[in-house]
Amino acid sequence: MSLLAFRDVDSFYGRAQVLHGVSFEIGEQERVAILGRNGVGKTTIVNSFLGIATVRRGEVEMAGARTRRFRHFTAARSGIAVVPQGRRIVPTLTVRENLLLGASVSRAGAWSIERVFGLFPILRERADTPGTALSGGQQQMLAIGRALMANPRLLVLDEPSEGLAPVIVDELAEIFRRLAAEGTGILLIEQNFGLVRRVADRYYVLSKGAIIETGALAGLSVETLKKHVAV
Amino acid sequence: MLINILNGLVYGGLLYILAVGLVLIFGLRRVVNFAHGSLFMVGGYVAFAVAAYGGFWLALVVSVAVLAVLGVVLDRLVFRPLQHEDPIATVLVTFGLLLVLEDVVKTIWGKDFLSMPTPTALAGTVTIAGEIFPVYRLMVILVAVLVAAGLTLWLRASRIGLYVRASSVDPVTTGMQGVDTDRVSAVVVAIGAGLAGLSGTIAAPLMALSPSMGSFILIDSFIVVVVGGLGSFSGAFLAALLIGQVHNFGVVYIPWASSMIPFLLMVGVLIWRPTGFAGGRA
Repeated sequence: MSLLAFRDVDSFYGRAQVLHGVSFEIGEQERVAILGRNGVGKTTIVNSFLGIATVRRGEVEMAGARTRRFRHFTAARSGIAVVPQGRRIVPTLTVRENLLLGASVSRAGAWSIERVFGLFPILRERADTPGTALSGGQQQMLAIGRALMANPRLLVLDEPSEGLAPVIVDELAEIFRRLAAEGTGILLIEQNFGLVRRVADRYYVLSKGAIIETGALAGLSVETLKKHVAV
Repeated sequence: MLINILNGLVYGGLLYILAVGLVLIFGLRRVVNFAHGSLFMVGGYVAFAVAAYGGFWLALVVSVAVLAVLGVVLDRLVFRPLQHEDPIATVLVTFGLLLVLEDVVKTIWGKDFLSMPTPTALAGTVTIAGEIFPVYRLMVILVAVLVAAGLTLWLRASRIGLYVRASSVDPVTTGMQGVDTDRVSAVVVAIGAGLAGLSGTIAAPLMALSPSMGSFILIDSFIVVVVGGLGSFSGAFLAALLIGQVHNFGVVYIPWASSMIPFLLMVGVLIWRPTGFAGGRA
């Protein structure tokens, strides 16, 4: 069963079409990357199943259920947790409250606030400060921790490396590998190939709103990389 | 002097219960509810009608319940469809609601002033620092304090309170975590409307009931919301205390200017802090 599949999806913001016939699929426990430069529609893929962009054609399958109409909460209730671009930490909530927000539809599973604190000890130290008082890297940890609180089957990461120092990106790569090893599916939407290389097995390349190439990461050519991804 | 302060607290308490409902509804639906004063008025009339048969306490419960249900209906039919529309559309529609509700009340109960008796259990007086003060008025202050404490506890310590605080700042992110923010908003509008019913009910024995009784208190409530800082609960509490005092001292000492004073105060606060007491959180 697919955790998440797009089949020939057209997505729009108002009248502006961003995705043109996009198809991809992620099965259980898979680690898949969607690569592409800024502005090709990477975030629109996420927005399509979060009910922010409108899917007008094609269909999306989530944990076995097919639909084209999404509310903001649909994905979370299908076991898909998103670490959104720009992290979207709620500024008026503390670190602890931001984490608890992530547990609102938590499935049974190993993740608890204690375990998140174990993974990111800095979040425990700063549990009672406002979420946006953290540094960029710490906010990214908070966004990941918040997603894990739902005990997701699929973790969708939208440009998690954006604006972070290389040493922090290395740390994140290690954490994503561990999560994948524990059985969480991972969809990594990125243009930082250094991170993709260490996390994903399979890739799709998105260009101008369409998937133009797919395959095993080992077979990804240097030309494709140069053309579609910042190395 | 002390009696004046207490009377200011009574009015401030009524204002707070009304204004905090406006804050709640604005926070979740981004709708400025011009019909809120009418909900207050309808609450008073519902209580009046029920009290004639079942007494004050039953009237209190029924009025809050009826208004909460009315809130759910309003949310589904008015606030939810309007939340992403031009603000002028919500102003027009909620103002239209105000007119409709006033006319409904006029049709049922007529235009004449009605008065609701003070509940017998609270009809007595107490002597405070040598002056006589009605027990009922003390109860109004107590109710406002309990509402403030209850709301704070609910927002700070309960799970749905967390969702309310999160949705009022970022409904999309809150929804992404799996929260049905429309349902949270419906609960919040029900509470806001129920509080308007509460305020209308406890105000009923203090003032004459008339279809226009909601208008003046609505304006003072808006002043409270603006002075407190749009969207702030603690700001609304402080502002309600202040406006209650200012209103009351105005009425007692400078009656010719009393209706102007809250506005002057609002202008002053906005010059000093353009976003109100809780500045910046709006």
